[in-house]
Amino acid sequence: MTTYHDPESSSKPYKEPTPLPAHIPKVQELGTTSGPLKSAAFFIGAYCKDYNEDFMLCKNENRDPGHCLKEGRRVTRCAEDLISKMRDNCLAEWDKHWGCLELNNHEYYQCRKPERTLNKCMFEKLGLVKTIPGSPEGQTPIHEVKRPIYTGVQK
Amino acid sequence: MAVSQHPYRQDMPPSGGFEAIKYKRNLPVRGPSGVMILTAVTAVCAYGFYRVGAGNLEKRELQREKVWSRIHLVPLLLAEGDRDAYRRQQAALAREKEIMKGVEGWEVGKSVYHNQRYRPADSIVVL
Repeated sequence: MTTYHDPESSSKPYKEPTPLPAHIPKVQELGTTSGPLKSAAFFIGAYCKDYNEDFMLCKNENRDPGHCLKEGRRVTRCAEDLISKMRDNCLAEWDKHWGCLELNNHEYYQCRKPERTLNKCMFEKLGLVKTIPGSPEGQTPIHEVKRPIYTGVQK
Repeated sequence: MAVSQHPYRQDMPPSGGFEAIKYKRNLPVRGPSGVMILTAVTAVCAYGFYRVGAGNLEKRELQREKVWSRIHLVPLLLAEGDRDAYRRQQAALAREKEIMKGVEGWEVGKSVYHNQRYRPADSIVVL
């Protein structure tokens, strides 16, 4: 008789060895860690808006993981495309910003200086602008405020 | 006899007269007045509350920024997770098919509910 073991309490993690079925086209996974992703989040949102919205609308139809594989591949390819473009054009600025995020608990407000150079580079080279949806009209967006109240201890 | 030895002298006020009698209260100035202190404290508090209010508004915008950075990443992470979930699901179905191949009328992956809605598997794998 088999006993049920909670996979969470297993001593070694279970890895399903079976690959994706052959009829599903392969896509290179992004492999970017949280820091660079957080740094690039608003540019991914701007650059891949159509693909992302298409994917989320598809997920809204059906939560089945098999239902939106095609849209999902498009999302990943688009992000991959943007990441490689960022690496080609703004690598130094990007590295600086996500390095700062890693050292500051992933808080944007502590890393405004490297963020501004990155935003400037992204706008000049790729024409992408960071916008925060839902920010109050007629006010400076929070990432462009000159003298914010919340700053790091060391400026 | 003794009295006559000293010449007579009338007792008089000192030359220039007596000094004025100190009947006025002597209260040296002891710092700013109460009204001034109250005004200053009120001003400091007002400025402090203004900064707190502005800080609260700023905090709200920082929170909005954080939330939107995560929202922008949701499709990306979900797509990656979906591919993995689909791979595991297909493997589980193949496993089930292999195990239950001798059973008549067994439908692989059939839901126990009469509902088309997707439900994630209750258990991932039995170790």
